[in-house]
Amino acid sequence: MRKYIFKRLIAAVLTMWVLITVVFFLVRLMPGDPFQNPKMTTEIRKNMEEYYGFDKPLIVQYGNYMKNLFKGDLGYSMKFTNKTVNGIISESFPFSADLGIRALVFAVSFGLVLGIISARNRGGKLDFFCVIIAVLGTSIPDFIMGAVLQYGFGIKWGLLPVAQYEGFKYTILPACAIGFYTLASVSRIMRASMLEVSSQDYIKTARSKGVSEFRITAKHQIRNAIMPVMTIMGPTVASVLTGTFVIESIFAIPGMGKYYVDSVSNNDYSMVLGMTIFYGVFLIFCNLVVDVLYGVADPRVRIGER
Amino acid sequence: MKKRLIAVLMTVAMAASLLAGCGVPKKGSDGGSGDSGEKVFRYGTRTEPTTLDPTKANCIPDSEVQNGLIERLVRNVGGEIKPGCAKEWEISEDGLVYTFHLNEEAKWSDGEQIKAQDFVYGWQRLMNPETAAQYAFIGEYIKNGAAIENGKMKPSELGVKAIDDVTFEVTLEHPTSYFLKLIGIQPQFAPLRQDIVEKYGKDFAADAEKNVYSGPFVLTSSENQKWVFEPNEHYWDKDSIKLDRVELSYIQNQETQLAMYENGELDLTELPRVSVEKYKDKAVKFKNGNTDYFYINCDGTNPALKNKNFRLALNYGFDRNTYNQLASEGIGDPSNVFTFRGLIGIESTYGEESNLKSYPLDGDDAKAKEYLAKAEKELGKKASDITVEITTTDNDAAKKQAEVVQELWVKSLGINVTINQVTYAEMLQRHSTGEFEIGWGGWVGDYDDPYTYLELFKTDCPYNNSNYSNPEVDKLLTASQQETDAKKRQDLLVQAEQIILDDGAVLPQAEREIYYLIDDDVKGLVNYYVGINYDWTYVDIAK
Repeated sequence: MRKYIFKRLIAAVLTMWVLITVVFFLVRLMPGDPFQNPKMTTEIRKNMEEYYGFDKPLIVQYGNYMKNLFKGDLGYSMKFTNKTVNGIISESFPFSADLGIRALVFAVSFGLVLGIISARNRGGKLDFFCVIIAVLGTSIPDFIMGAVLQYGFGIKWGLLPVAQYEGFKYTILPACAIGFYTLASVSRIMRASMLEVSSQDYIKTARSKGVSEFRITAKHQIRNAIMPVMTIMGPTVASVLTGTFVIESIFAIPGMGKYYVDSVSNNDYSMVLGMTIFYGVFLIFCNLVVDVLYGVADPRVRIGER
Repeated sequence: MKKRLIAVLMTVAMAASLLAGCGVPKKGSDGGSGDSGEKVFRYGTRTEPTTLDPTKANCIPDSEVQNGLIERLVRNVGGEIKPGCAKEWEISEDGLVYTFHLNEEAKWSDGEQIKAQDFVYGWQRLMNPETAAQYAFIGEYIKNGAAIENGKMKPSELGVKAIDDVTFEVTLEHPTSYFLKLIGIQPQFAPLRQDIVEKYGKDFAADAEKNVYSGPFVLTSSENQKWVFEPNEHYWDKDSIKLDRVELSYIQNQETQLAMYENGELDLTELPRVSVEKYKDKAVKFKNGNTDYFYINCDGTNPALKNKNFRLALNYGFDRNTYNQLASEGIGDPSNVFTFRGLIGIESTYGEESNLKSYPLDGDDAKAKEYLAKAEKELGKKASDITVEITTTDNDAAKKQAEVVQELWVKSLGINVTINQVTYAEMLQRHSTGEFEIGWGGWVGDYDDPYTYLELFKTDCPYNNSNYSNPEVDKLLTASQQETDAKKRQDLLVQAEQIILDDGAVLPQAEREIYYLIDDDVKGLVNYYVGINYDWTYVDIAK
């Protein structure tokens, strides 16, 4: 197992290096520059370029960037001139992560429950109800979900705050909006997987031996059916915890979602790189954790690795 | 059994949902204006301020934040000049030397006196190329400003001098009649404390704590895309400040802002275009000085656009009223001149006094055809063989605008019009390199004077994106910078603008209109069309 993790870490570092290098040179190919001001004069642009070291050859800039990166320094944002990329990320990530964790717990717990209920009542009214929720969740885009929740609970009934993040009750609507899609996909996958497992021989054996339905579901079905759900959790955790552009914009959450979009349209090179690295590392880490957990849940994976 | 299972699962799920969540700094806001007896003014911005360093401010949100935090030599409140750090000032007869006498009571938020040296340092820092201030050009009025910016002279050679702690002298390159208005609104002219700037270095003003403030308010928090201002207890004129707190939040989504306003979570919100009709009775309208137009590249690759008659045909064949209805839902004030008409004139507004002769707002197809016929002859081409390309940005509104213009020209002139959408960054790059034929443009002045618009047509202006060059216009504009008589000066500017319009050098479209909702109990908000949109310094909340 240790060897396996070590190998994966080496691969992760290599992946990151390729990612950083490709993005470093790609962002420079974008038309325009970070100094987007219609009143920019040639002299001021030159001064700005010197300030950010753009007057040096690209390869030297790359070397400097990598050197700073080893020290954990992502540099200064070019749009938000006095702020460091590290600062911006550490300020905004907790909001996105906080919402994301709430959304995930909500989505995974309800998604699993719905999936299980649905499978246990296959063809029944409850199944029908759960399937409808799953279909709605996967087919309604998040900006509609967010706007509807905001209008309903925030404006019409005045039960919850409309936007911003000032405390627990502010997080309920955006967390639901973010989590709904994941909830739907988790419940769909869980349902399908539960149904597949329930026709397996060991379930039939257990049933014929007179094991209670509760035990069958809790001990045998869920444990075996949960594997496919775990598979999607790696990328899901990474994307949900690092913020979403649309929902954070609708609910005015000071998270990091907007920087994915804005940094590119602002040609804010250091910010684009910083976000890419942060997301990349996070995604690789989540996938690694899932792989390890996979081994814990399913001994066959561990054997296979040897 | 099955029921028990469902019940257990549901309980676990709900408990987990409730327990979830981890520590994020939470900052409570009682909101509104009165619950706790505090006078709080809350509003949102759709564009996030980019910096808290006054020298590096480069957009309206930056300036609006600074307007509450800094005290310049004078305060320009909606066009009216009031004393700031300077209690009085003298201007030399030739209009070149300004001597400001500072108020000894003017203090920094840490209690230290604001001295003439703080202005010297702040202004020199602006022009120092090492600072890399985007708006450094605004200091080119000061003697040697441009040379310092270009690295040809040292910052210490800037035409500013601290004669003693309370006497500050500025020497200008040329008489600038709007100099006081300029330094009273633009944040780059703030005093700065050398010890503080040097203490924090690159991190100066990175957040609220890393600065001291000279203005009516201090910034107590700049975290989480929310800026909180509280009165500066050392401010020399603190009796004029009525608010206990101002909260500016970055709320990108206009609908969200409106919803928050409706829910009592904001005291002011700008209206999305689609909602203007619904709130027409309650909304306040103001023009923010932003003019929308299309650049016409007068010296680009398309020979048709080099032809004056063809450019006039474009202008006469453009029905501005219809355009405004179709492209902007009627929000905006169709305009056939380039300069913002609300600028201050001699007695009324520049728009009223200038009396420019221009293209009719409804267009004039007959005249358009007349000019087109002349152009066809000169170019040796039929209208149907002429193609022009509109380059605009990649958002939906820009696309719609371009499509409306396209439709109007195809109908009135029978020419071919293509549309090319690029990112905003690329648009700006193309403006500066001249790689466009007809390009989207928007301009807002830096000071309350027509020159801030008209300089775009001066041959040597770095942002003369039209690549327009007319020696007569250059001469008039240069003369206007030397003229000290207000009336004569305005005449020079009007003459220049008339020539620009007669040459069809640009395609003016409309002046932007902002509609906003504001709580009835908020009194004393000032709107301005230069530098900032909202000046809440003297706002009071009526009980």
